[in-house]
Amino acid sequence: MQTSSASPDTQADNLRRAAIDKSVKGPVLFLFLNGAFWLMASTVLGVLAAIKQFAPDFMGACSVLQYGRLQPTHINALVYGWGVQAGLGVMLWLMARRSGQELRTGKSVLYVAAIFWNIAVTLGLLGILLGRSTSMQWLEMPAYVWPILLVSFLAFAWPMVFMFGRTFRPEGFMVSSWYILAACFWFPWIYITANVALHCLPGLGALGAGINAWYVHTIILLFFTPVALGAAYYFIPKITGQPIASSQLSQIGFWLLATLGGWTGMQHYMGGPLPAWMPAIGAASAVLLLIPVGVVGLNHHLTTLGKHNLVASSPTLRFVFFGALFYPVSGVILALISNFSTGATLQFTQAWYGFQVVAVYGFFSMTVFGAIYYIVPRLTGCEWLSVRLIRNHFWFSVYGIGTIVVTSLVAGAQQGGDLNSPEMWDQDFMQLALNLRPYIIARAIAWTLITWSNVWFLIHLMLMVAGLGRRSSAPTLLEHDHEEVLPHAAHA
Amino acid sequence: MSQFRTFILALIASFGLPWLFLIVAPAIKYQALTQVAYDKDRDGMEGLYPPAPINRQGQLVYAREGCVQCHTQMIRPSQLALDGWRKGWGQDQEGRPTAPVRSNTLRDYLGEPFAFLGVQRNGPDLANYGWRAPERSVIHQMLYAPRSLHDWSNMPAFEHLYTERLAQGQASSVALKLPKKLAPKEGYEVVPTAEAEALVDYLLSLKKDYPVPGESTAVAAAPAAEAVKK
Repeated sequence: MQTSSASPDTQADNLRRAAIDKSVKGPVLFLFLNGAFWLMASTVLGVLAAIKQFAPDFMGACSVLQYGRLQPTHINALVYGWGVQAGLGVMLWLMARRSGQELRTGKSVLYVAAIFWNIAVTLGLLGILLGRSTSMQWLEMPAYVWPILLVSFLAFAWPMVFMFGRTFRPEGFMVSSWYILAACFWFPWIYITANVALHCLPGLGALGAGINAWYVHTIILLFFTPVALGAAYYFIPKITGQPIASSQLSQIGFWLLATLGGWTGMQHYMGGPLPAWMPAIGAASAVLLLIPVGVVGLNHHLTTLGKHNLVASSPTLRFVFFGALFYPVSGVILALISNFSTGATLQFTQAWYGFQVVAVYGFFSMTVFGAIYYIVPRLTGCEWLSVRLIRNHFWFSVYGIGTIVVTSLVAGAQQGGDLNSPEMWDQDFMQLALNLRPYIIARAIAWTLITWSNVWFLIHLMLMVAGLGRRSSAPTLLEHDHEEVLPHAAHA
Repeated sequence: MSQFRTFILALIASFGLPWLFLIVAPAIKYQALTQVAYDKDRDGMEGLYPPAPINRQGQLVYAREGCVQCHTQMIRPSQLALDGWRKGWGQDQEGRPTAPVRSNTLRDYLGEPFAFLGVQRNGPDLANYGWRAPERSVIHQMLYAPRSLHDWSNMPAFEHLYTERLAQGQASSVALKLPKKLAPKEGYEVVPTAEAEALVDYLLSLKKDYPVPGESTAVAAAPAAEAVKK
């Protein structure tokens, strides 16, 4: 906007930012682009899996396309193809920016790691489809895949930790950096633990199933959540131009998540063969997590207060705001499926799928979309082409996710009610299958909407990466009336 | 720099605690878990608990086809759910048994590299399927063409576990007896592959409600012991 009148200080700042952006440009864009591709693949698989669930004859009896293989492929593509990959991109950029460090060396290592990550994901997903699935939740990919993924992740985590360590200023509490640094530590720790326990130890029987459930919960709570919160804590103050409302609240939110997150998971098999204290402690911490979730939600709300008009105009803030809004929502859903009263009804039902989608898509991915809408123009040097495409992406995603989450929860209540209905004690599963059908059809439609939005997101992103964006100094805003309200920092 | 170290240490402590107590210690302790013997006086039966291992080859087929996406293998206690009272979900196939099917223990899955407790319950629980299973050929038909048995079924058809081949001489004894609509061409027959046989063996080996040594239900469920011997 007013770069001409900016002081030399700001100009030096801008140059420094540009240098940082340039240093991480290649790897970050590579991760985003591949992530967006996998996201689209995952949503297409989501449509197919949903259809296969109510119409198993759809597209014939081909072994590759059976529900039991499609569903894990869909989830794994979402988690490893899109989630972790795009998360790494956001983490790398945020960490470089937050610590004011350029990526000095090892860029080629990052490329190699990113390429191997994608090769491993491809092999893993093909493995599931072709009949090598392990049927462990979120770890369905064949056992040879995990070391590759782990090393690739570490190749990215190392420079981030290094950047952080080099510039640590002890006087400031840097909530974004902390979340991202913690995610760098937690992911490998959890990933190694779960894979060693399930693939290398001689066999843990039912305890293995418990560790598997723990893995899913901790990856959501201690990887996806910190990355998304790190991004939200960076972008909300940045775009509203207001400081984070309360430093204390953000510290409480961080440390409570860190202490409670690791205990959750085993409640997934409540009433099962695990020693009773394991599900009990999992359920207790999942419910206690409502405190940090509420605290962070309150903090974001207070930071945005008075600047809600920016949610309408800034694409980044709009996505991040709704992503941050989905954090309390997913926390409440986690509490609902975890406690022993509603959880007993919702156990083994569609509600579990609803939770995975709201956490990974509604909360994490929406926030990451916002981050991508902010980061990519700064890396490519051009602005997003079309307001309409962004709007289309936003609304289709919001309505799609909303539909999936609501129908999954209601379907879960219905299914749980049917399973526990005394009248149905001697019935077969006909009523249950029939009652479930409308919800699954709704899910198929919702995934179709999301696929539609993601196709355009991918094309839009590809055009940007190809350098075909709008050549302009003004960012692409969703509503231009409020442009002058946007503080200067938002364009930096 | 000291605050950085504090931060890292706090991070390690906060996550290390659950990691150690929830994962590592139980995993080490689990290695010591073995079969236990029934006490003839107390339990009214002899032998080891759990008595029979599952069929591992079939379990691999179960895993790769993703059966866990819709079938659980876990009976919940009756204070949590009505699983135990559902007809045929335990050894007793009669309606309204006197006691609910017991919920599962850690030992029920002893010897399984990974217990497939399940993701969702879109189909019936299979923990004790071995008791209520119909004859082999019907299970094969269920796997080959579920909708030929229940037209409302949302179970996938696992046709790739079966081969259609030219019938030579007398029809094979394992050939599927299919309804007309699904029957192969004249002179051909549908036979299960080794994988399908293994899967059925596995399904038939699913009997996870053996009496637990030292529990009062063991006496009541003593007939189960007879069935084991057979």
